[in-house]
Amino acid sequence: MSDKVQSPVSDLTGAPLPTERTLRYRRNLAVQSWKFALFNARILRMVLRGRH
Amino acid sequence: MSDVVILGAGVAGHTAALHLSRLLGREHRITVVSPNSHWNWIPSNIWVGVGKMSKQDVVFPLAPIYARRHIRFIQAKAVAIRPYGDAESDRPAVDIVHTSPPEDGREERIRYDFLVNATGPNLRFGATEGLGPQHGTTVSVCTADHAVEAAGRLRGVIERCRAGEHQTLVVGMGHGTCTCEGAAFEYVFNVDNELREAGVRDLARVVYLTNESRLGDFGVGGMVFNEGGYQTTSELWTESLFRERGVEPILGAHVERVEPGTVHFETLDGTHHALDFDFAMLLPPFGGVPLAAFDRDGTEITQQLFAPSGFMKVDADYSGKPYEQWSASDWPQTYQAQGFDNIWAVGIAFAPPHQISRPLTSANGTVITPSPPRTGMPSGVMGKTVALTIADRIRRGPRAEAHRASMADMGAACVASAGANLRTGSAAAMTMMPIVPDYTRFPTGRSLDDTRGELGLAGHWVKLLLHYMFIYKAKARPGWFLIPE
Repeated sequence: MSDKVQSPVSDLTGAPLPTERTLRYRRNLAVQSWKFALFNARILRMVLRGRH
Repeated sequence: MSDVVILGAGVAGHTAALHLSRLLGREHRITVVSPNSHWNWIPSNIWVGVGKMSKQDVVFPLAPIYARRHIRFIQAKAVAIRPYGDAESDRPAVDIVHTSPPEDGREERIRYDFLVNATGPNLRFGATEGLGPQHGTTVSVCTADHAVEAAGRLRGVIERCRAGEHQTLVVGMGHGTCTCEGAAFEYVFNVDNELREAGVRDLARVVYLTNESRLGDFGVGGMVFNEGGYQTTSELWTESLFRERGVEPILGAHVERVEPGTVHFETLDGTHHALDFDFAMLLPPFGGVPLAAFDRDGTEITQQLFAPSGFMKVDADYSGKPYEQWSASDWPQTYQAQGFDNIWAVGIAFAPPHQISRPLTSANGTVITPSPPRTGMPSGVMGKTVALTIADRIRRGPRAEAHRASMADMGAACVASAGANLRTGSAAAMTMMPIVPDYTRFPTGRSLDDTRGELGLAGHWVKLLLHYMFIYKAKARPGWFLIPE
C-alpha cells in the first residue's frame, strides 16, 4: 500500500458552466420539441447518407 | 433448400434473422441458436439499473416471435464450428449444447450452408480480480438481471444517505481495455439524478472511473462539434456536464483488483491508487464467446478463424500497423470470415482491426485504451447487411457480390439519458458520422453537419422513442422492417 497515492480526480474548474438561460432552454418544451424534430431528422439523414 | 444458421439473438443476430425471414421463402430454413430464451433491449438496462424500469419492460421471449416468422429457434450455446464438415459429411456444421430443460446439456451437431456468428460479448469479469456481481463485490448493468441487482444496491445506498450517512459511489470501467464507455457515462448521470430526486445528493460523492484518457473520448477518439460557429470538442462538452453535476472523473485508469469496499487501480502516469466505495458499478472487458474450430479430420483450426481475443477475423486489416498509419479502410466492409465465403461475423463478434482511440500504455507498460464500440445501431446495420448478402447468394448464386457496411461509412447515435421524466428529464444526445473517423474525407475525421452533441429534455424523448421503437421492431410487429436499424 506504500505506493498508493491519492485518487487523481481531474480538475474541471476550467470547464464552462451553462448559464441560467441555457438551463431553462434545456427544459423549454417549445425549444426541446424543435430540437427533438431536428435530432430525429439528423438520424434519418445519417441512415440515408450512410453507404450501406 | 439452404440452411442458414445464426449464432446469437442479440441486436445483430436477431436483425439478421428477421430480415432473412422477410427476404427468403419458406423453402429455406433459418435457424437461430441462442443460449438465452429472451431478447433484451440492452440500452434500457440503464433505467432498470436505477429502478426506473422493470426487467419485464426491457425483455421479451424470442420463441413466439420466431414461431410467427417461421424461424427455427434452438435454445443452446454454440461451442465449435466445423467449416469443412466432419468425417460423416462434407457439409459444414456447428456443435451446440442445449441450455434449456429438458434438453439441458445435450450436445448436437447441426449442418449449415451459411453461418452468421453474432454471439455478442463474453463478459470477462474474471479479467479483474473481485469484479462483477457473481464472484466480486461490484454490480453491472450488462444484463437485465444484473441491472435489477444494481437497482437494489442503489436503493440501499439512498436509504443510508437518508439516514444521514455519507456514501461514495463509483461508476465506470472495470479494466483498462473496456468498451461501452457511453453506458457507464449514462449510468453515472442516472445515478446522480436518482440521488438528486431523493434529496440526498449532498451526502453522496459520485466518481466516474474510466480508461478514457480524456472525457468525451467514448472509445471513438472523441469528436469535434460545430457549436455556434466554432469548432469545439466532445471533451469540453463532457467536462461541462461533469462540472455542472458535480461528478468527479478519474481518467486513464486500469482497475487492477477490487476488494470489498475498495477498488485498486493504476493510472497512465504509472501510479497506483486505492479508492473506497459503498457502491460500485464497473463494466467488464469484452472478449469473444469461446468457440473452437476444427478441420474435417478433427484438427483444431481455431487460430485460423479467430483472433486471440476470441473475436472472429473478417475482411479487416489485422497487420498491426502503428497508430500513425491507421486508416478508415482498415475496417471491414462485408464482415465475411477470412477464407470462407459462407461465414460472417457481425456486431461484437467480429475482430476489430485495432482501437479507434489512440492506444496508450501506462509508465509500467499497462495498456489503458478503450476498445472500439460496435453495439446498437452499427450492430443492427451489420446484421441487415449480411442478411442481404446471404439472400442474394441464395437467390442469385454464390458469386453474388457482398453488401457492404463499413463503420467508416455509417453513423451512430448515442443517447445517454441523465434523468427519466417526460417534463424534467434530460439526456446527452450525440450523433457521429462516421463512427470510424476518415481524415481523407473530413478534416476533423467526421462530418460536422452530422456529428453533434445536444443536452436537454429532447434527448430524453429520443431515448424513450428509441426504446419503444426498437422493441416494436424486434417483436416484428406490422411494418417493423420500415424502421431503420
